[in-house]
Amino acid sequence: MPILAIDTATLVSSVALATEDTLLAEITLQTKKTHSELLMPHIAKLLDMAQVAKTDLKGVAVSIGPGSFTGLRIGLSTAKTLAYALQIPLAGVPTLAAMAYGCPVPGVILAPMLDAQKGNVYQALFEWHQGELKEIQPAVVTEVTAALESLSQQERPVLVMGESAVMYCDKIKQIGKNLILAAPHVVIQRASSVAGLGYKLIKQGVRHDVMGLEPLYIRRSEAEVLWECRHGVAK
Amino acid sequence: MENTQQETRKPCLTLALETSCDETSAAVVADGRIVLSNIISSQIPVHQKYGGVVPEIASRKHIENVLPVIDQALQAAGASLTDISAIGVTYGPGLVGALLVGVSVAKALSFASGIPLVGVNHLEGHIFANFLAHPKLEPPFMALVVSGGHTSLVHVKGYNEFALLGQTRDDAAGEAFDKVARVMKLPYPGGPYIDALAAKGNPEAIAFPRALSGKNSFEFSFSGLKSAVLNYLNSAAQKQEDINTADVAASFQAAVIDVLVNKSLQAAAICGVEQIVLAGGVAANSGLKAKLGYECQQAGISFFYPDPILCTDNAAMIACRAYYQHQIGDYADLHLNAKPSLKLGARKVGT
Ligand SMILES: [Zn+2]
Repeated sequence: MPILAIDTATLVSSVALATEDTLLAEITLQTKKTHSELLMPHIAKLLDMAQVAKTDLKGVAVSIGPGSFTGLRIGLSTAKTLAYALQIPLAGVPTLAAMAYGCPVPGVILAPMLDAQKGNVYQALFEWHQGELKEIQPAVVTEVTAALESLSQQERPVLVMGESAVMYCDKIKQIGKNLILAAPHVVIQRASSVAGLGYKLIKQGVRHDVMGLEPLYIRRSEAEVLWECRHGVAK
Repeated sequence: MENTQQETRKPCLTLALETSCDETSAAVVADGRIVLSNIISSQIPVHQKYGGVVPEIASRKHIENVLPVIDQALQAAGASLTDISAIGVTYGPGLVGALLVGVSVAKALSFASGIPLVGVNHLEGHIFANFLAHPKLEPPFMALVVSGGHTSLVHVKGYNEFALLGQTRDDAAGEAFDKVARVMKLPYPGGPYIDALAAKGNPEAIAFPRALSGKNSFEFSFSGLKSAVLNYLNSAAQKQEDINTADVAASFQAAVIDVLVNKSLQAAAICGVEQIVLAGGVAANSGLKAKLGYECQQAGISFFYPDPILCTDNAAMIACRAYYQHQIGDYADLHLNAKPSLKLGARKVGT
């Protein structure tokens, strides 16, 4: 029985249905329409097209961040509620890890980057080792030029993925060396990857708290940061 | 079909969600009028140190609280999803990020359960809080909606028919309260503190302006009044004069109330209605309730206002509104989006 996977961390809206070894269906759109308008109709359409009843869903996997705060909340609100109402397991899948999961190539450093505003990116590094995805560096917020320069010092080829790879593709080409810009079908988030990793987590017994699961923001709100600057850190 | 006649009729339950600003709320209401549960998770303490609602923090709190609040609302009502006839959700006006949490949850809940979805206008919800507080109240009536974001006069002709007579051109009445309170160094939210202070002062001590008080004008303007109060406080501070804060609060509040009350009575007279209802956060203001109550009595008009808990943002009022939309099949589909500046306007409904 399939699980439903959702990724709304960036402008890409993607939903997928997958069993352990089969991708049944995926809708991935990169348009200007809002997630709020697209997501639920897409889920309904996806189930309909794949002829899967909602009551047959075995779990829900959702890309939990980092990414656009609002996008993450729309995806997570939807996923949590479906898990709650259908009484099925929920798995929050880190967005950057899902991207790397979709590109199982050994010998390469996988570097997904998502926009964190003002020349910054959310970045994590991964590699495939003996058929397993390993995290080399956890998600951080970093300045994009410095991040790319540092990656160009690596000995191995680095595959740069994500919306920021597209935004800064000129910079990647300019630096050149070992940096490779991922191809269009790999460069964006795909819910099929979220489904793959999510299925694995659910099979391992991961049950995220339907009531309390929150997005992986990495960053606090601007108001909190400003307040602490003005008043000194209270904690 | 004799059997169905004998069966006791099951009440029609509406479940609703409200996340338009800084309260996460879910409620279950029976037959549109009886509140079975009304769970409100307030964020006021979280926003207090910033002196106002921070949208990003509000959205973060909503996603943390929304499902627990729904679960509690169902439990407290002794209901499960299968007992619910319609799911209502506030889709505007309000903070977009905050609204989106409620709208996304409500759509997913409706899809998963097959229960129809109703998109509710928050301001209509505030008006409908009066139906919960007064089981016998029925349209037509004049509604004065006063809150931190809105000041409007609405002719409620029927449960699904409204005409907006006028609204504020600039600041909402509640906004003026909050800004004046901030300058007077009163805690956030300032409305209740001004109300309490005003009760101890002389409302005629300082002559603050009453804008747009011309006959038969139903628009409001409070930014001039707000500036006048701030100027008064600033110039007193510069001259290092002692001011009587209770008199300032009382005179400011009287200026707001005079305008609200006069226009409400004029509007009721022009539309020929014999009932006035008060709605919105500022409806909890004791000075406003007292003055409007007194003037209504003088004019032979019935006056209604909700209990304080139904004046704040709450989902019970949304569930009440959703019930009456459900009655006429006014449903939303899965494309429903948040509308941060949704207007309360003329609403025509086919039968
Ligand atoms: Zn309100």
